[in-house]
Amino acid sequence: MTTALAERINHCLICEAKNEPEAVLCCECSAPMALIQEAVQQEREPCIISIIGDTNVGKTVYLGFLLDMLSKRGGDLEAIPKGAYSVNLQQSVIGHLSHRMFPPKTPSEVDQWHWAYYQVAPRGRGVGWFDLVMPDMAGEALAAEIEAPKSYHVIHNLLAKSEGCIVLIDAAVAGTGSPLPDFFGLKLMSYIDDMFAVKRGDKLDVPVAVVLCKADYCPDCFDNPHIFARTNLNRTWNICETRFAKVEFFAASVVGSLAYGTDEDGNVVSVPLHCAPRGILEPFQWLLSQL
Amino acid sequence: MPLKFLFRKATRTKPEQAACEDPRSVRRRDGAAYELAPAESPEADPLKRLWQQGRYAVIVRQGQQWRTHPGGDALLKGAINTLEQRMALLPEGTVTLPTTFLEGPGTPEVDVDVPAFLLACICVTNAQFQKFVDAGGYDELELWPKDIWPHLIEFHDLTGAPAPRFWMNGRHNKRLANHPVVGVSWFEARAYAQWVGLRLPTEAEWQMAASWHIRSSADVYRRFPWGDALDRDKCNLWLSGIGETAPVDAYPKGASPNNILQLVGNVWEWNSSDFEVTDAGGRPILGEMPMKGVRGGAFDTYFENQATSTFRTGLIALARTHNTGFRCAMDLKDATCLKE
Repeated sequence: MTTALAERINHCLICEAKNEPEAVLCCECSAPMALIQEAVQQEREPCIISIIGDTNVGKTVYLGFLLDMLSKRGGDLEAIPKGAYSVNLQQSVIGHLSHRMFPPKTPSEVDQWHWAYYQVAPRGRGVGWFDLVMPDMAGEALAAEIEAPKSYHVIHNLLAKSEGCIVLIDAAVAGTGSPLPDFFGLKLMSYIDDMFAVKRGDKLDVPVAVVLCKADYCPDCFDNPHIFARTNLNRTWNICETRFAKVEFFAASVVGSLAYGTDEDGNVVSVPLHCAPRGILEPFQWLLSQL
Repeated sequence: MPLKFLFRKATRTKPEQAACEDPRSVRRRDGAAYELAPAESPEADPLKRLWQQGRYAVIVRQGQQWRTHPGGDALLKGAINTLEQRMALLPEGTVTLPTTFLEGPGTPEVDVDVPAFLLACICVTNAQFQKFVDAGGYDELELWPKDIWPHLIEFHDLTGAPAPRFWMNGRHNKRLANHPVVGVSWFEARAYAQWVGLRLPTEAEWQMAASWHIRSSADVYRRFPWGDALDRDKCNLWLSGIGETAPVDAYPKGASPNNILQLVGNVWEWNSSDFEVTDAGGRPILGEMPMKGVRGGAFDTYFENQATSTFRTGLIALARTHNTGFRCAMDLKDATCLKE
C-alpha cells in the first residue's frame, strides 16, 4: 500500500477527520472505518444518499426493506453489499418483521448506528456501478440537529455531502389532520435549503424524494400522493415547490396489517401481522435517475 | 326502500373523476389506459336473469321452482354442471390452528374437525363481481348486516359509485376482467357470496383445502397446496416478480390435489372466521376494529413464511385493500343435487 493511499484510508470521507490506522470507527463522526477504506479502494467518490425523517416514521424499516429488495434484484436494479457490516441493518429488519416484530429503535448514539455501503447498478447491464452510502440515523438525533445545526456533526456532514435525500413523512398521522408531520417536513426541507444555500430565486438542484410512509392507513395517499401532500402537508408541499428543482412525492407502506397487544408491563405494543411492502423501490429509482 | 335511497344519494363523486366525460375510456393519473367493461342489458325472465348473473347455486337451491318454468330443466342442469365444474369437493378432515400469533415449535394449538364441503376452484373475478354491482347488490339491504348499513356509503369506487375500491364509474377495468376482484371489504365479499347462494369458507376449511390434511391413513400435510417447497413458478408472490394480480386461472402447476387454484399467492382471501389470536402469554392481539381472517398471501407478500397453508393473519373487516379478494364455499348438504 502506498503512503498516499494509507493516508487517505485514515481520512474519514464523511467528516474528514484523521484517524489512527487501527481505528474501527471514525474518532469524530463514528462512521465505520471499513466503509471508508472500502470507498478509498474503489478510487471513486461514493454517492451518499440520506434517508431522513421524524422519529418513529419508519426510517429503519424503509431502509432495511430497500436494501433487502435491492439485494434480491427488485425492480430494475441490482446491488452488492460492500462488507458484512452493510448487511446487519437489513438482516435485523427482515428478521424481526418476518416474525411479526418491529426492529429495535435506532439509538441516538452515533456509534451504534447501522451503516450500509452498497454498489448499485441497473440490472443486467453490469456497467454504471456506483457506490452508495446510506446510514440509518436516529430520528431524535436528526431532530436535535435540525433544531441546533452542527450539534450532530455527523448528520450535518452527511447531509452536506449527500447527492440526494429521501425524506420520510408519516402519512398516517398527517391523514388524521395532525399538523406535526407537516411541520417536521417543513423544518427538514428548510434545513436542507439553508445547508446548500443558493442565491435567492434559484432552486436547489439536490434531488429530494418525499416518501409518504404508512400510506396504507390512508388509501387516498396511494391513489394520488401529490394531492394528498398538497392537502395534508401543505407547508412542506409549498417549500418543495418553491425551493427544490428536483422533487417528487411517493406513497409507501410496509405492513399489510397491524394489530396491537400488550407487553408484560401492560404497555401497548404494535404487532405487524403480515408485510406487504409497497412503493419502496420507486423513490430510490427516481432518485438515482436524477443524479 | 327509503334507507337505500338515502345512502346512495349521499355518495359523493370526486371532482377530478367527475370531469371524465366518457365513462368507457378513462386514463388514470399514472397514464395507464383504464378501459371500462361494457354494461349488459338484464334479462327480463327471472330464471334467465339468474343464469345471466351467474347465480347458479341460487338456481340449484330453488330447483323445484324452476322445473315447470319454460326451459327450466335445461338451465337447472346447466347450473348443476357449472357448479360441478367450478367447485371442488373437500373430504372431511382435521385442521390444527395455532392460537398465538407467534408460530413455531411449542405453540399452543387447537384441533378443529372440518366436515366435507365444496370450495370454489378460483377466486371471484372482477367480471363476476360486476354482475353483483350491476344487479344493485350494494343497495339490497338484506345482503348486509344492519350494523354495517351506515358504512355502505363508504363502499364506493374511485369515482364515488358503489363498487370495489379501484373500479371507476361502477365498472371494472376490462383488462382485469379475469383477475380476482380486490378492494372489497369482508362485508362486500360476504354479501356477494350470499347473493350467489354461497358463503365464505371458514379459516379451518380454507386451511384444510390448502394443506390437504384430509382424514386418511397417511397423515398428509402440505406446507403449500402443491407440496412442501416454495416454487416461484407455482404462485404469484413478491419473489415471482409480477408485482400485480394475475388472472385467476394462472399458475395451474400450483393447484391443490383437487385442482383448486391459487390458494397461495395472487390475493389474500377473506374467511368467514373472526381473527382471534393471543400472544405467548395469552393476552389478546386486537385490531383497531374487529378483524376477520385472511389467508394465503398475495402478489406482494414478501416473506415465504407468511404465505404458507397454515399462516394465520387478519385484516379489519372494513379494509378494502389492493391485495385482498375472496372465493366462495358451499356446505355439502346444500349440494346433494350435484350428485343426482
